[in-house]
Amino acid sequence: MPTNRHVQKEKVATYASVLLDAALAAGGQDAVLEVRDQAERIIRIMRSNMDLSSSLQDSSYTPEQRNSLARNVFAQAHPVLIDVLAVMAERGDFALLSRVWESYGEQVERKLNVTVVDVTTVVPLDDHLREVITKKSEADLGTKVVLRESIDKSLIGGILMSANGKRIDASMTSQLEAARNVLKHSTDGGEC
Amino acid sequence: MNVKNKVLRGCGSAAVAFGAASAMLPAQAFADEGSGVAAILPQMDEFIPMLVAFIILWIILAKFGWPLFEGMLVKRETTIKDALEQSENARVESERVLAEYKRQLEETKAQSAQIIADAKKTGEAVKADITAKAQAEAAGMIEKAHAAIEADKKAAIAELQGSVADLSVAVASRLIGEDLNDDEHRKIIERYVNEAGSFNAN
Repeated sequence: MPTNRHVQKEKVATYASVLLDAALAAGGQDAVLEVRDQAERIIRIMRSNMDLSSSLQDSSYTPEQRNSLARNVFAQAHPVLIDVLAVMAERGDFALLSRVWESYGEQVERKLNVTVVDVTTVVPLDDHLREVITKKSEADLGTKVVLRESIDKSLIGGILMSANGKRIDASMTSQLEAARNVLKHSTDGGEC
Repeated sequence: MNVKNKVLRGCGSAAVAFGAASAMLPAQAFADEGSGVAAILPQMDEFIPMLVAFIILWIILAKFGWPLFEGMLVKRETTIKDALEQSENARVESERVLAEYKRQLEETKAQSAQIIADAKKTGEAVKADITAKAQAEAAGMIEKAHAAIEADKKAAIAELQGSVADLSVAVASRLIGEDLNDDEHRKIIERYVNEAGSFNAN
């Protein structure tokens, strides 16, 4: 007899699979990656807006009301993603969105043999850097790699890469922070 | 002793009786004085009555007078003897008391000496104890002071290190952020990517 955890896992995998198949059918790999990015942004929005999050999961609304609410709020998203989000809200499964996004990434990697690597830098990448980063990532991960680039001046310098929950932090911020900790906690040389 | 007393008593009684007889008949005893040896010899007709009178007197005195006199002597003797015994007893008692006082005095002296010695010993012990406690407290205070100074020193050093670290990082951040152009940033990124660890290492 399946436990509640297994039911949830099956449900998450089903949502992710439906979303991937629909995105792939709608626009190929580009659509798949676009849906992934939009879903990630929606998750961040949901974490920062508890009113919206609780409203989409509020059982005092009817399923149709939650469906309608999701469609109206995420009207600018990819149509495939809107449909899946609306169904999740209607069935009261909107809290599973972050797990669906993780499963979606795993299925993308498994079905398309593509791993999305998020790259954050201070300046835009040029083609040479993209090639260097892609080769390194493909060598590490053993799959094709798609870079999702973003700019963050707070890094000061260097690069921050993450894929499948794994992270390489080679930013100036982290190195300066490490240097700060070493300077603060080193004791040799402090004796007079 | 009794014989001697009786002899003495008899001689005493005779002397008293002779005296008394001489006093009563002085004129007849020496009334007719002759010449030569006869002058010093008593006349028999006078001597016999005098002797009889003497004996009678002696008997009377021995019978009635002497016991009274003897009683007085015995009483006197007893009184003197008692007084002597009492004085002897008093002397013995006083000597005993004196010895007792001397003994008590010696004991008191010994006790005093012991008390003084004990007090001195106790004083020395208290002095040593107080000195040891004072030294221990002083050592503890010095140790605490050293610890406090060391802690303050470490805190000051840590604070200084923190300030230096913050300042250094802030200066480095500003220098890197302002002085590096895009190409230099890209060169740094490339170097970091080549030097960075693997995804699989995490």
